[in-house]
This record gives sequence, structure tokens and C-alpha cells, in this order.
Amino acid sequence: MMKRYIGAFLTVLLLMGSLTGCGGSKQVEAQVFAMDTVMFLTACNGDGEAALQNAEAELYRLESMLSRTRENSQVTLLNQASEDFGKGQTVEVGDEVCGLIEQARTFSRVAGGALDITLAPVSSAWGFTKNAYRVPESGELEVLLTHVGMEHVHTDAAAGTAWLDEGTQVDLGGIAKGYASDRVAAIYRQFGVTSGTVSLGGNVWACGTRPDGKPWVVGIQDPNRTEEADAYVGKLHLSDAFAVTSGGYQRYFEEGGVTYHHILNPATGYPAESGLTSVTVVAAESGTMCDAFSTALFVMGEERALDFWRSGAYDFDLVLVTDDGRVLVTDGIADAFEETEGSGYVYKTVS
Amino acid sequence: MSTRPFPKLRPGIWDALVAAVVIVLAVVCAGAFWVRGTLAEGELTAVVSMDGQERERFALSDGEMERTYTNHGYTLHLLVQSGELRVAEADCPTQDCVHTGTIGQAGQSIVCLPARIVVQLVRTGGSSDVDVVIG
Repeated sequence: MMKRYIGAFLTVLLLMGSLTGCGGSKQVEAQVFAMDTVMFLTACNGDGEAALQNAEAELYRLESMLSRTRENSQVTLLNQASEDFGKGQTVEVGDEVCGLIEQARTFSRVAGGALDITLAPVSSAWGFTKNAYRVPESGELEVLLTHVGMEHVHTDAAAGTAWLDEGTQVDLGGIAKGYASDRVAAIYRQFGVTSGTVSLGGNVWACGTRPDGKPWVVGIQDPNRTEEADAYVGKLHLSDAFAVTSGGYQRYFEEGGVTYHHILNPATGYPAESGLTSVTVVAAESGTMCDAFSTALFVMGEERALDFWRSGAYDFDLVLVTDDGRVLVTDGIADAFEETEGSGYVYKTVS
Repeated sequence: MSTRPFPKLRPGIWDALVAAVVIVLAVVCAGAFWVRGTLAEGELTAVVSMDGQERERFALSDGEMERTYTNHGYTLHLLVQSGELRVAEADCPTQDCVHTGTIGQAGQSIVCLPARIVVQLVRTGGSSDVDVVIG
């Protein structure tokens, strides 16, 4: 009798063993070239194939709508109207773009202007848009900065229209990939995908857990050792979370022995020198918010960034890397953060 | 009070058989664990994709070799040495693939956006240490 029970128990164990690992279904993967980057998507469980096909189509749709360089995108049409006809020329951009502009306005306001979608002409003057780098004259920047500010951007949500003041240009690049990750997350849920990763050029969404039930391991690039692809400041163990990193090392050029990076301070028009080399924002709910705040908090610097986090106005956590070799991890993700031994950084949990 | 004598304790043929079965089982279990461990370690493999489609995969332990890939009018020269690889030369305008430097661990990748070529390192039969990299 006992022997029979043992036999049954072993059979159940064997079955459990063979069913783990993507829940018995195959992991599907996709690479998508969109939004000036390559995106990596993996999906397990549910209808993974359909989820990836829909996600890919959605990423192309968003690119064709939000790109600043693509002809006939809503953003391009909005910018062209301001260029060709001057102030007040309304453009039908649709509800989605109107909503994104308004979200950007809110993020800009709460971050004290540290993030601004109207910085586009300044960014172009530095050559960051077309990889044709140059250091603009201070007079040139002063003129351009007069057109920077969300007060120059107007929307009519009911009509789905927007218009810009003369000389103002917008670039939604600071939140577009974050928004894309939110959209892909929604598609994954729609098709029952419960395990996977979505990596959209510095924007990550960890869907559920790994097939082995453990959290996904997300390595944060060491900003001081960018030539080494396996040099991490630390690792985040995440499940059902968005994570976005902004760092000056991601795009920069050198001229006259000075390094100029691409994260510009809207107040000065120059690359932000805030004492931070990398900012990672982690949150459960919104990739758009993570994307916006990773840039904004990089500009704000350690003190203002932590004050903003402590205010509790938004639910997120941070990993900040400072230029004097410290790594600050906010207490909400302290347990999920794994330090890198021998990295030379001094780690500190912030509360 | 009478005492019964103890049975003889000399091992018989059946005892030897049971012992032999236990030893064989132990060896098989140890072997299974060893094989599983080796598989989990796996072989570091480079997966080359163009336009999102896998084109080639080769093990990095294959010694020194060179590979050339052309896509969208750009050519990349890959150099594999001592279990690591890098893009030694490329005629793409951004040169990001060359600047990425050498990669040698599962989960790492080199991307050339203009050529739409991605080289990813994966470990066959095992999960890598890091699933995704941000930054």
C-alpha cells in the first residue's frame, strides 16, 4: 500500500518537473528596429506569438506617429505648421498625441521644468538629433531658449488638436519609449502573456517572473565602464516592474578636450552638470513616468531628486550613481538591488 | 528463563544484491546531477540576426575566427578570439558597433542600427546571470 503512494508521489513530482519552464509552452522572441533603436521582446505563456506580432505593429504605429524626423508623423506635422505658418496654426494630432503632450506638461511642472519637450531646437543646435555634433555659441542658445517652455505648447483635448507658438518645436522622444513600453505591457496582458521581458532602448518592462519563478535580473550599466558591456553598477531583481535608465554616457561627443553629453538642462541649454552620472527609475505602474523622470531627475541632481522622491507625489524608486563614486538606492527597492562586489562604488540605502 | 539464540548475521546473496542496487542508483543520480550541471553551464553561443531574423549561430569556443556580414549596404567584420567577440571594423556611419568593444558573457549584445545587425551572446541549455541590461 505504502509503495503505491510513493509511486504516485514520484509520478506527480515528475509531471511537475516537466511542466515548469515557460509553463510547458515555448518562449517566443522578437527584435524590432523602431524609434532609432533596436528593441528586444520575449514572451512566455498565453498567446505569445500573437502578443509579439501585435506589439511589433504597435511599435511601428507609435514610431510613425511620434517620430520627430519622420515625414508626416503627427509630431512632424505639428512642428512644420509652426515653422511654415507661425503662431496659432492648429494641427489635428489626435487624442493620443494630445494626451501625451498633456502628460509631458504635468511631468515638466512637477519636476520644476527639469524635463521639457520644447527643448528640441536646442538639442538640434548641439547636433544630437542628426549625429552632427557641434558646440553652439551662447548667443545662439539664448535666442533658442526664448522658445523653450511648455507655455508655448497648446492643446484642445476635445478637438484633438494642438498648436505651437512661433519658433517652438516639440520632441516627444523623452517619453515615447516609456509610453511604448506601457502599450506593449497592455498587449502582453491582453494575450495572456505572464512571463517575459520588453527592452526598448534603455526602457525595460519585466513581465511577471522568469519561467523558473524567480524575478528577472536587470543589470544596470556602469556609467564609468561603458566599454565593458558586462560592467554593472548592480543588478535589480524585478517582477512586474518598469525600469528606465538615463545617463550622459549614452550619447556624447568631445570637442577641445571637453565632453558634452545629450541630456540638456532646459534652464541653460547646456548639458546638465548635476553631479549624477546615471539615474534609474523603477515603478510598477507607468513606463511613461519612469522615462520622463529618469531624464528629469538626472537634470535635477542628487538633492532635488531625492527630495522629489521623498515627497511621495509619485510612486517610484531610484538608483542614483554620483560622479564621486556613490550608488544611492531608495529603500523601496533596497531588497531587490544586488551590489556588484569589487566595483569600487560606495553603496548606500536612502530613506 | 530461556534465551533464544540470535539469527546468524552473515550477509547472504540478497544482501549483496540490495547493496549493489543502492550503489548503482547512487552513481546514476550523481551522474544525472553532473550532466545537468554541465548543461546548465552550457556553451556560449553567438546569435547573429539581420532585420530581426536569425541568420547564423556559432559557438564561441570554436577558437579564433573572422566573420563578415553585409546588410542594408553596410559591412561588419567580426573577430572571435579567446571566447570573446568584437566588431573589429565596420563602414557604418555611427560606428556604435565598433565602440561597443568586446563582449564575452551571455546576455550581452552588439547592435549596428544602420546595418540592422544584432549579435547576441546566449548560453545554450542554461539561463544567463543577467536577463536584460539597461543604461
